[in-house]
Amino acid sequence: MANHEEEVLAPTPGQRVGTFSKRKDVKRTFWLWLFFTIVFCVLGRIAYPHWMPPVLSKEMQGNEDIMIWFTVISAPIAGIVLAVAMESFLNMHRGDTPPEEGVAIRTNTPVVIIWTAGSVFFCIVAIVWGLVVMNTDANKAAADSATALTVDVTGAQWNWSFFYPAQNIHTHTLNLPVDQPVTFNVISDDVNHSFWPVQLGVKVDANRLATTVIHATPTKVGVLDVKCAELCGLYHAYMETSGQVETSADFTSWVSSIQATGGVQQ
Amino acid sequence: MTTLAHAPASSRPIPNPKKSLITRLHMGTGMVVGIIFCWGTYFAMKAGRDMTDSHNVNKVLLASMLMWSFGFLVGIGALIGPFRWLIGKDLTAEEQLYLAGDGQGVERYFKYCTDHKVVGIQYLVGVMTMLGAGGTMAMMIRTNLATPGSHFVNPNVYNSLVGLHGITMIIALIIVSTGPFGNYIMPIMIGAADMAFPRLNALSWWVLFTAIPVLCSAWFLGGIPTGWTAYAPLSDQAGPGMNAFLATIIIFALSTAVAGANITTTVIAMRAKGMKWNRVPIFVIGATISVALAVPAFPTFMVAMIQTAMDRTIATGFYDPNVGGSGWLYANLFWIMGHPEVYVILIPGVAALMEIAPVFVRKPLFSYNAAIAGFAGIAGLSILVWAHHMYMSGWMPALNGPFMVTTEFISVPTGLLFLVLIGTLWRGKPWMKLPMLSVYAFIWDFLIGGITGIYLSDVPADNYLHGSMYVTAHFHYTLMGAALTGAIGGLAYWFPKMTGRMLNERGGYISFWLVQIGFNVLFLGMFLAGAEGQPRRVADYAHLFAHANLISTIGAYSVGIGMLTLLWAIIHSARSGVVAPMNPWGAKTLEWTVPYPVPLVNFDTPPVVTSDPYGYGRSAK
Repeated sequence: MANHEEEVLAPTPGQRVGTFSKRKDVKRTFWLWLFFTIVFCVLGRIAYPHWMPPVLSKEMQGNEDIMIWFTVISAPIAGIVLAVAMESFLNMHRGDTPPEEGVAIRTNTPVVIIWTAGSVFFCIVAIVWGLVVMNTDANKAAADSATALTVDVTGAQWNWSFFYPAQNIHTHTLNLPVDQPVTFNVISDDVNHSFWPVQLGVKVDANRLATTVIHATPTKVGVLDVKCAELCGLYHAYMETSGQVETSADFTSWVSSIQATGGVQQ
Repeated sequence: MTTLAHAPASSRPIPNPKKSLITRLHMGTGMVVGIIFCWGTYFAMKAGRDMTDSHNVNKVLLASMLMWSFGFLVGIGALIGPFRWLIGKDLTAEEQLYLAGDGQGVERYFKYCTDHKVVGIQYLVGVMTMLGAGGTMAMMIRTNLATPGSHFVNPNVYNSLVGLHGITMIIALIIVSTGPFGNYIMPIMIGAADMAFPRLNALSWWVLFTAIPVLCSAWFLGGIPTGWTAYAPLSDQAGPGMNAFLATIIIFALSTAVAGANITTTVIAMRAKGMKWNRVPIFVIGATISVALAVPAFPTFMVAMIQTAMDRTIATGFYDPNVGGSGWLYANLFWIMGHPEVYVILIPGVAALMEIAPVFVRKPLFSYNAAIAGFAGIAGLSILVWAHHMYMSGWMPALNGPFMVTTEFISVPTGLLFLVLIGTLWRGKPWMKLPMLSVYAFIWDFLIGGITGIYLSDVPADNYLHGSMYVTAHFHYTLMGAALTGAIGGLAYWFPKMTGRMLNERGGYISFWLVQIGFNVLFLGMFLAGAEGQPRRVADYAHLFAHANLISTIGAYSVGIGMLTLLWAIIHSARSGVVAPMNPWGAKTLEWTVPYPVPLVNFDTPPVVTSDPYGYGRSAK
């Protein structure tokens, strides 16, 4: 208790932080925050690479990186929300009578400002990250346009077909040479479909009478699954085909084998 | 505006307008007249038309469905008032009291009743019916997907299940909070005697009611192959069942326009004396912002459907690329409605939980202004984000960047909602009753829904995730995990005021844990399937996705059993639950100051408000 003779001083910010950090509920909330943050970071780092299919392109690597790092970035914020919620949950009051009155905290302006500024900051990080990746992909596609392999993709209820103009072959599987940029010109014969070569991590709708374009650069040899990602009627679930990212030599030999049968894959 | 006498029910004579037609009309007469109008239209239009031409079939079916709706409204007496106005008269005061259900029993729930409390219960029963139907379809979908190669239903039935489950649940969730609580509770919360337009209030419910049989008729007309998004040109190609979908949306959009105008006007114009804007309960603010957002959003849905109907009936070709139309036009119109609609669904559920949290933590709502800023910010930004659903459509790739910016910024006001809730919980000792459990479930579910939304709003990540099961899991976390959880919390909270009895706690707890654990198993499994690369809306899938789908189906059954338990608890409690005291939670909002049954005009003496309803707590040490 302050002596009446002495001047009563308000606590300094440093003293307030010191008192705050020594509170039992604050300490418990901190440890809960640390726990949830670590769990989210570890889950993001392990789960997505484990869940997502093999990375066969630069674009797919970019997608997977975003999934991992956005989880890591959002982990501390999610950790705060969960820690405060869990701390209060553990402090629960049971029974048929209401608990005693809590502390009448109407608001806390610094907290509101810091929270808002923090979420704006993380939001900007996410936006800038996305824009940089988009821009890099667009620049690379423009730079590669002269050398890119072109594949015309047609969706029709309920199958995919491919035409390689330079090679003059029609196929129903999608084979691509590794490390060769590729441009897909996508169109539909009927309703909307969505062209999704899963392991390449790119996707675009196939529209009737309007060509859409996407680019990818396969970076690893492996099996490709091509699916339709837009509900397109009765057999939408079965509108899929397969393919291969393969070495240049294998691709050339695959093209030759089709050219030998009149340019149409059997 | 109503002219009801503001006097205690006990001092008023029971209205008995014996000669009025109004007393003879009810749901049954509505159905009879509706069916006569429907079949009359059908046969009259069919005569002389070539019914092998799909355009003619579509014309006849659409007109018959819309005339059913109109006929029902005629038959239930919804148009007697407007007709009287046409001849320079109005309903008598006695007729108005009769319409308000004064002195009537259970039968008023089957009539064109203008009492907002009756309309609230009608909405509640309607919503529960829709959730039951939509949930049953969800169980069928998950059963079909339990194992790869299952033939529980064929692909046509599966596609229809997906579409009808979607639209049924979307309609149910749009009204799940603003229908029952916005009508029953909200006018009492603001100290009003009734809604601003009681007849429009009844109209909004009964118009919506007429949409239910129309949507059901889709099953008998071959189903819908398009999902609830009804993208063109697939919708142009679809069979006669598509007409049921189109007519449902047109009718539903009318209902929401009427309800939205009514709720907004009521809150603006009929608040109790002293209830300044900064004293309005947060649920009222949330519900008002939600319906105000719906008022401009749903007309675009209606326009999109009318244009689809025109393409299908008179071959206008709005969305037909073969004659110069574009499916992108449809997609834009649809999502201009579609993304605000997500928040129309979400905001009232969150607002209900913000109403609940201070009561059970016995602390003021943390930063009331931040809550309003959160709602307003979300509502404002939500009309600028629609094309994030179209990143991969090929429409204007140059706009992907700007839409990514607006979409990601929505996480800022959304973050404020979390801050308000955890700020209210901070240093609290929450009274762990049923409504409070929903607050915690919401925080977890919406956190997952929110974070995964950030991935999906990012264009490069959406390259992979768009159209996959990941998207389906994400929006179920927001719509079901957040909005429906909020509504269930609201039901547990306001159940004593709406039924006079407490909701059975044991049933409620069992249901809560079955639903929440099942829900997380179900949709975490679906995240896994989506990340692995399974497209959404597929009737079958590769063996690669078998484990994830089996996990999802097990979770779905748990949700189903949990929801049935909740249904049992609701029915059992409403019939023979513990009688509730007037204010069982010790809350400070006005609805807890009136007894059950709530008097016809709610308050014997108009209340005067002198503070906001969050004056809990002791001074901080």
